[in-house]
Amino acid sequence: MKWRLTWVFWATTALHVAAIAIFTRGFLLTRTELPFHSGCSDVAGSPCAPRPGAAGPNGTGGSERCWTKPAVDRVVIVVLDALRFDFVAPSALFKETKPWMDRLPVLQKLAFREGSSAKIFKAIADPPTTSLQRLKGLTTGGLPTFVDVGNSFGAPAITEDNLINQLVQNGKRVLMMGDDTWVQLFPHHFKRSYPFPSFNVKDLHTVDNGCIDNLLPSLYQEDWDVLIAHFLGVDHAGHIFGVDSLPMIEKLEQYNTVLENVISVLESQSGPGGLHENTFLLVLGDHGQTLNGDHGGGSAEEVETSIFAMSFKKPPSAIPSELDISCEYTLDERFCISSIQQLDFAVTVSALLGIPFPFGSIGRVNPELYALAGGTWNMEELKADKPEHDLKSAEWLHNYVNVLCINAWQVKRYIDIYSASSLIGFSSDDLVHVANLYAEAEATFAQKMDPLSYNSEHIKLSTLKRQINAYFRFLASVAELARSKWTEFNLTFMGIGLGMMLVSLLVHVLAIKMVNELHNGSFNPSGNSGISFGLIYAFFIVVIRACSLLSNSYILEEGKVANFLLATAGVAKIRYSIIKRKMIFEACLFLILICLLRFTIEIGLSKQAATSAFLHSSTSWMIGIDFNHPVLVYILQLLPMLALIGLAYLLYKSTADGSSQRICRIVVMGTIASYVLIVVHWASESNMLGLAQINAARNVIPRIIYAIGIGQMLLLAFSQLCNGSTVDNRSLFSKTVSMLSAWSPTVTILSGKQGPLITLASILGGYCIVMLQNIEEESDGTAKPSVVNPLSVTEWSLLALSMFFCTGHWCAFDGLRYGAAFIGFDEFVLIRQAILLTIETFGFSHIIPVFGLPFLVLRRKLFAQKELLVQLSLAYMMFGLIMAATVTVTILCVMIQRRHLMVWGLFAPKFVFDVAGLVLTDVLICLASLYYFCRPEDHRLEINTSRR
Amino acid sequence: MGETRKKTKPKASDDEASATGGLASPHAFSLHLACGLSLAAALWIAGAGGESVDLVSDPSRTLRLVWVIECPIAILLYSLARERPAQTSYIRAVVRGALALPAGAMVNALGAIALGAPVGTQYLAKTINWSLVMSTWIVVPAACVFGASWNSWQRIFAFTKPISSIDFMICLPAHGAIIGAWFGAWPMPLDWERPWQEWPICVSYGAMIGYLVGMVASLGFILLRHGHDHVKID
Repeated sequence: MKWRLTWVFWATTALHVAAIAIFTRGFLLTRTELPFHSGCSDVAGSPCAPRPGAAGPNGTGGSERCWTKPAVDRVVIVVLDALRFDFVAPSALFKETKPWMDRLPVLQKLAFREGSSAKIFKAIADPPTTSLQRLKGLTTGGLPTFVDVGNSFGAPAITEDNLINQLVQNGKRVLMMGDDTWVQLFPHHFKRSYPFPSFNVKDLHTVDNGCIDNLLPSLYQEDWDVLIAHFLGVDHAGHIFGVDSLPMIEKLEQYNTVLENVISVLESQSGPGGLHENTFLLVLGDHGQTLNGDHGGGSAEEVETSIFAMSFKKPPSAIPSELDISCEYTLDERFCISSIQQLDFAVTVSALLGIPFPFGSIGRVNPELYALAGGTWNMEELKADKPEHDLKSAEWLHNYVNVLCINAWQVKRYIDIYSASSLIGFSSDDLVHVANLYAEAEATFAQKMDPLSYNSEHIKLSTLKRQINAYFRFLASVAELARSKWTEFNLTFMGIGLGMMLVSLLVHVLAIKMVNELHNGSFNPSGNSGISFGLIYAFFIVVIRACSLLSNSYILEEGKVANFLLATAGVAKIRYSIIKRKMIFEACLFLILICLLRFTIEIGLSKQAATSAFLHSSTSWMIGIDFNHPVLVYILQLLPMLALIGLAYLLYKSTADGSSQRICRIVVMGTIASYVLIVVHWASESNMLGLAQINAARNVIPRIIYAIGIGQMLLLAFSQLCNGSTVDNRSLFSKTVSMLSAWSPTVTILSGKQGPLITLASILGGYCIVMLQNIEEESDGTAKPSVVNPLSVTEWSLLALSMFFCTGHWCAFDGLRYGAAFIGFDEFVLIRQAILLTIETFGFSHIIPVFGLPFLVLRRKLFAQKELLVQLSLAYMMFGLIMAATVTVTILCVMIQRRHLMVWGLFAPKFVFDVAGLVLTDVLICLASLYYFCRPEDHRLEINTSRR
Repeated sequence: MGETRKKTKPKASDDEASATGGLASPHAFSLHLACGLSLAAALWIAGAGGESVDLVSDPSRTLRLVWVIECPIAILLYSLARERPAQTSYIRAVVRGALALPAGAMVNALGAIALGAPVGTQYLAKTINWSLVMSTWIVVPAACVFGASWNSWQRIFAFTKPISSIDFMICLPAHGAIIGAWFGAWPMPLDWERPWQEWPICVSYGAMIGYLVGMVASLGFILLRHGHDHVKID
């Protein structure tokens, strides 16, 4: 019998886990961050170790040289956030001229001037096109995914090897100004920095003005080698006003002036011996934006941005014509603009500065960008003796081949180490293919570089070009492989996962139907249609909540939506209580409680990180309450302790009537002891009673509480094993109480001071739901025991959801309270801390509600003893079904919105939280079924005999 | 925003309610027309005449105009259709309606806050005016007609079982307004950044649409019943 009721929990758990695993494989692209760094000496292990003479006939360099010969001394990087390609490119390139085009004329003038050493590129970014991911991509030369495994616990700082890290390692001084995201990403790298807050999207000017104020004076200073200035105005103007707007045009015109000034300063100092004699200017966007100002996805508008590069070295260099460079001509065929992958940025800048390439970079040194500055030193040398064009080109190409050799060796090294050390590496076929290409390129390189045949004059241009093409093929195939692995969704997997979720829903519904029939068939052969108002209403609420998840706005306001629906259900309950003229007090209490929860949710929202996307839901009502008032502080500290004492009293009362089992009493005593310990812990923490804070003892109390919790759990499990008493109301009640009381101290201490209050609210809410659950059914007057009310189960699950938001959580990773993981422990152990964090995050919203669900059934005194189990399993199935239905819609929505601009900021975290919650709920339901359902007995027979 | 269900204390039962309140359809039509016209007039005065505001630009003033203009009309007209006109004087019904206005507004406001209406000084005027309007549409007519008859209130707002014409005329627009307001709240969280997404603009629009639909539907029901009665008589 037991299995007839509980198999469905195990079946759906298995289905859910499988479906989620498959879907996640297709959707959540993961990449492992490697902790390795490139060093100057590594290059000795490459086949292209620089040897005297290899770089050029004159053999300059040698000692000061690291990986490549430095081509520029200083770099000025101006990042214009969300710089669309058509902001920079001449309007002649496009079919239609739009108002926002040609607003940066200084760049166009310089780029298309005769004999200039400036150039405009179309830069192709890789999705996700969010600033943080793009900055990471620009500096590491990799393809950051949504989940970069190995992320430090919470902090966004980049731990992978990157351009900035290499600069610092090699003694370059980096100066940063503008967007404070850089400081978060590189907390200890900058010699000097002028960060400005970037979180306020409505603020167009703070960051930009801060940049402008610091940029020009800094250009006259000598104390930096690389200057980064990150302007945010265009991004913010796009987000608020859209691209086709006056503020956007004003911003672009402002930038034009700034760039004019910057260039004129640089030019004025670029004479021989000047400060900027060998300076390289890069003006680039991190990503584009759509006409509405959105970005994040992979549409052409979002990934197409621009790089403007200019070398101030005189005389200007020319790009060798031998390279087959494809470019896009403007309509009048006057200008030609070539493309560059943003992936190539880090490695090209590294090559220009002569520092080691970032370890995880998979880009290639872009020939055109490299030639702009990298071509220059050869020019001068060659002009003196051999002014022949061919030779000049050959020299350049030869040098470039050397750089590419190092480049290819570094990429190959990364791919090899990555596939050896990451959890999910590349497939072996792909690896073999890449390895073959590399071997091919290396073979010709070794041949060419054979010292005997080496003679610069004899190396044919065509050989060099073949060699370059071999390297290009290798690097391109690596980039393609990496993109398919890290940026493309696998729709097949996603479809299979979604299909399995739908199947699991079907299984759930069928199981509910089956159990329901079993139940009806046993004593209610006439059977009502089973479609009650409660069922329709519950169905309506679940559907409307599920549909609301399809929009990002409702996901942002999910807590409020849940509360709205819960309040609607509460109002419906009031209506019924008026019809019945009873329990009006409970109904009103429920509504008041919901009202309080709603305010708590708003307080929780206001605590969110300032940079969170969720912040804009403003907390309107918190008007000028000074939370630092001493009396208020005192009350706020005292209140949780009073609540805890009240809880302890409540627990004591619930078991004091002597009817409960001995085990239950023991467990409850343990819980009360834990509560006392918590009060002592908090009192000593806040120094309230003058108890001195003893540092060593700080961790003792939480650990004792965890130990008591584990002990209670073991006790309960043990008693379950050896005590197979029949289930009746009383024993189920004491079992539920003891289970909840075993969990509650741990959950409470992890939640902090709000814990006891939330616990009280949960008890009150649960009490109201239980009391009100049958209110609409007894209207017939006949006291027929009907099935557990679906509306009550829906309310139960909505209340659980509200609790999640009430406890100050939200579905984003910055919503996790990492501090809770370290209550009772100082050092970090992944599994232990992860368990604590899970209990803190899902405690009130999943663990307590699932184990408390029997209360819904207990209230119905009319149930026969055996009937209880059928009802209980029905309740659990409905709860699981509601949860699974919501998660299925989340999965569907993530699948539909996978190209949405908020997919990485909003939908993916929501997906992760929902999926984790679902699996946790499933597992908990299975555990609960083991715990609450007793030994198998022939149940049906007994019902039949007892009823007839 | 359906929260007007709990109202006034229970009183002596009066089951003859169903017997009275038989309102002829022309009367019902003119009553609804007067209420609808007063609503339109209020909006027109707000827009064209003098004040030149509308619901979006200044919701609180517009809503104030609506209840200031519509409430007296509703009280005066519905009091004409009061139950047991013999025992209850006209003045008494008017006073009942006037007293019910703030009481109903209170219930409406509390319900709206429970459902998530923003609280704060800048919303205070809007919430008060909005709940007065809702009260005018939902509570005032019932108070004028039924007074403190708990059974009638329960029949209309809890059981939703209108019997007579006047029951229909109170019940359907009130439920329409409540349901309309409930649905009107849904666009509020969307990120369209339109001015009408502010509280209580779209909720008021929803309630208004629901109210008008309810009025039309109640007229339809009354006509249907009337025809039915005629058939029966024949």
